[in-house]
Amino acid sequence: MERTQHIVRIATETGLLVLLGPLVTGYVQKLKARLQCRRGASLLQPYRDLAKLLRKGTVRSDTATPFFRAVPALVLAATVTAATMLPVLWAPSGPALLPVGDSILLLGLLALARFLLAIGALDAGGAFGGMVASREMTVGLLVEPALMLAVFSVAVAAGTTDLGELAARRDSLAALSWQAPDLLALFGMLILALAETGRIPVDNPDTHLELTMLHEGMLLEHSGPGLACIALATHVKQLVTLTLVATLFFPPGLARGLAPPEIALALGAFAAKVLLLATFLAVVESSYAKLRFFRVPQFLGLGLVSAFLALALRVL
Amino acid sequence: MTVELATRLIDVLGALLLFTMLVILASGQLFRAIYAVALQAVFLGIAGAVLAAATGNPDLWVIAGITIVVKAFVLPWLLIRVVRTVQISREIEPAIPMTLTLIAASGIVVLAFHLNASLGPVRQTITGNALPVGVTLILIGVLVMASRRKALVQMVGLFASENGIFFTAMAISQGMPLIIEIGVILDVVLGALVMGILVLRVRSSVDTDIADLESLKG
Repeated sequence: MERTQHIVRIATETGLLVLLGPLVTGYVQKLKARLQCRRGASLLQPYRDLAKLLRKGTVRSDTATPFFRAVPALVLAATVTAATMLPVLWAPSGPALLPVGDSILLLGLLALARFLLAIGALDAGGAFGGMVASREMTVGLLVEPALMLAVFSVAVAAGTTDLGELAARRDSLAALSWQAPDLLALFGMLILALAETGRIPVDNPDTHLELTMLHEGMLLEHSGPGLACIALATHVKQLVTLTLVATLFFPPGLARGLAPPEIALALGAFAAKVLLLATFLAVVESSYAKLRFFRVPQFLGLGLVSAFLALALRVL
Repeated sequence: MTVELATRLIDVLGALLLFTMLVILASGQLFRAIYAVALQAVFLGIAGAVLAAATGNPDLWVIAGITIVVKAFVLPWLLIRVVRTVQISREIEPAIPMTLTLIAASGIVVLAFHLNASLGPVRQTITGNALPVGVTLILIGVLVMASRRKALVQMVGLFASENGIFFTAMAISQGMPLIIEIGVILDVVLGALVMGILVLRVRSSVDTDIADLESLKG
């Protein structure tokens, strides 16, 4: 009985992340447009784009192997599985019944999605694919360990890597309330979130067919429903990254039970946190220029060192 | 204000000081480094105010006020003026690669905190992590001075280093005599003025870069 309830909770939370992913992208685009004095596309535009792509046919490169066809589904699967790890509405009441919720697994799945995308880009045999895949992996090399360090710095204090438990403990234990290392880890995390969501100082999500692009370059060879899968995975990944930041640093607001007011409160808190972080993304994207690629390691190095210091401050 | 709250606030401000220091170290543009050092001075002033409220030492209020006015507004304004006047390129050219300096910085932090463990008796209840943070700021400031080619960035490094000394002194001794603090601030202002004028003069008479002075060695 309890097990079923647990499964239903996790499915609801994951469904929420998947369904709201495009909306967050739409919100960021809209806010960006408003900041640039444009009216901007509707909030629902990403959904329409997805629906349009799902109706289209697929064109595939002659050099692509059958594995290429599986890449979009695998990327989406890895990202959605990563989304199951996050506590969105409910904090776990007891010991975890299912082995989902581990932060290391979450980061590993995101890394897997990144790896699959890069392999797919190489597999299609385009010139852009190879170049962009190598760039994306370079960024990944800097972002992933830094994210690990930031997560560890919080996990060390909470004594667990399980995200749900971590958020619940952080919420209730006074000893885990805001401390100096949290601040450094949060700054590091915000810098890394910009890279992980593919936003401006590191990558430009609006560009296609430019020499500077990172993420979009890997999508060039995909089309139709496959492209829709990857686009959805990108939206979900963005929301997962934001929710991870919210879980680690702004845990209050998680519901304990199933009472409707509690759930409404948890939904409101979740929406507020994500809106805040998405606003941060949009504002940064509107006020900074994209960095030259060789400057990116320096920018991410700041995040890496902040995260490292957060961990060092916590341990020493 | 209770001692516990003060310790926590000083800890948080220490983290903010560390972060601004990292921004100074990682910034590729002159103006960003200058704004970061100004922000650092604001945090330093707030730390002074917190300590003043916690210890009830009226001198610290004065010092916090002077710190914010002089270090957060006057000195950065001076630096920006010099930058505008000499019209140098706003990119910071590191003498050693930026990533290496960042790695060195994290090494410095670990060392400073490690050192702190062996300095048990010096640590006081109120100061928390102030000693290692201060030592880190001083050393990273020196690193900035050592690893940048432009005189103006070296000045930013000097200010940051000075902020570290100030933070340590304030937190450890819970307020030095007012006269000493004012003397130190005057020193910094004078140093900044002299360096600013020097940069202007050097630029107007020989149009050179600090790195070019290397070739004067016999």
